[in-house]
Amino acid sequence: MRRVEHIMGLPISVDLRDGDAELAEKAFEWLREADARFSPFKPDSEVSRLDRGELTSQELTPDLVEVLDLCAWYEQATGGAFKVRLPGRGLDPCAVVKGWAVERAGDVLLAGGARNFCLNAGGDVFASGEPEPGKPWRVGVRHPEEADKLCVVLAVRDGSVATSAFYERGQHIIDGRTGAPATGLLSLTVCAPDLTTADSTATAAFAMGAEGVEWAAAQENCEVFAVLEDRRVIQTAGLPVHLC
Amino acid sequence: MKRAVPVLLLSAAGLVPVWMFQPGAEEAINEVAAPPASTPPAATSTAPIVPGQTQTQAQTPAQTQAQNAARVIKGKLIKTSEGDVQLQVTFQGNKISDIAVVTAPNTAPTRKALPLLKASALKAQSAQIDTVSGATATSGGYQQSLQSAIDQAQ
Repeated sequence: MRRVEHIMGLPISVDLRDGDAELAEKAFEWLREADARFSPFKPDSEVSRLDRGELTSQELTPDLVEVLDLCAWYEQATGGAFKVRLPGRGLDPCAVVKGWAVERAGDVLLAGGARNFCLNAGGDVFASGEPEPGKPWRVGVRHPEEADKLCVVLAVRDGSVATSAFYERGQHIIDGRTGAPATGLLSLTVCAPDLTTADSTATAAFAMGAEGVEWAAAQENCEVFAVLEDRRVIQTAGLPVHLC
Repeated sequence: MKRAVPVLLLSAAGLVPVWMFQPGAEEAINEVAAPPASTPPAATSTAPIVPGQTQTQAQTPAQTQAQNAARVIKGKLIKTSEGDVQLQVTFQGNKISDIAVVTAPNTAPTRKALPLLKASALKAQSAQIDTVSGATATSGGYQQSLQSAIDQAQ
């Protein structure tokens, strides 16, 4: 079964090959909950309340502590290129929350007995098992300049793919070190065993610019496909490219 | 990697630069590997394979005396149980200024220690796929996106 719903400002789709609508609903239920709790755009979310000083660090839920720890780690690991709180702005853990929440939704499906499914949250992909026996999930990576084209296709079984890019007007990732939009890359895709790592690494590396390519490649279990501003492609040797 | 050791034939003169070589070499590799001190996204960090043997091997030909000119020396191809390894080392006098990987096995620990990056030109393609990865931040973008087409096709 397939289903699409807009949550966290993103179209989230599930392609469930061996589960029912009831199980899919459970996964979406969790995603709506994550949105309600961690969105900086909802005044009554935990994130907003923490930002307004209405919650002390002792009052945070373990989930939010986990998210903030992840943010802190990426901030440190990128030398501040990735920041959970950009100067002059509120607390915004969205870059980490998205992958983390979708991975958790995947866990809900796995716990419910599903084995073969693909979750896609605004281009972040969590793929489990296979779409059909003997075949991997074919994950196309959008071409950064031609929306209807791909620049590479990856073959994924039990893995995740996330892409950070600059191709829609007004959409940008800020380099926390300068406060200006990140430059040097058109898109950067990370393939990793889990979506939290793939998404956070892609976002953090994109914020770093061209030097983020090598940084992402050095992260544990991460394969990278990056398109530089000059349209050169840099990829790691272990990238699971699907030969069409 | 262990098997590489017997292959090494170091002359007495060759050992001197070997001693000088080691610390710098590890430093250079660690810079690239940079294993996260604490990796919150789970991932118990495996010790990166630092191909010490290959490094010593790579600089065996560097027995010539220290000079200030940069010298680029390609090491011998070493066969290990994990695959072939070959490094290229740039010396500035007696110091190593750069280490490049010419060949390395495509195993996870090696990749972590030495991220191998391939460069190519950007290509546009169309293909049969199951899903699309891309930064679709807005629903407006999504409507034109491939994923939308895939979702509707079913």
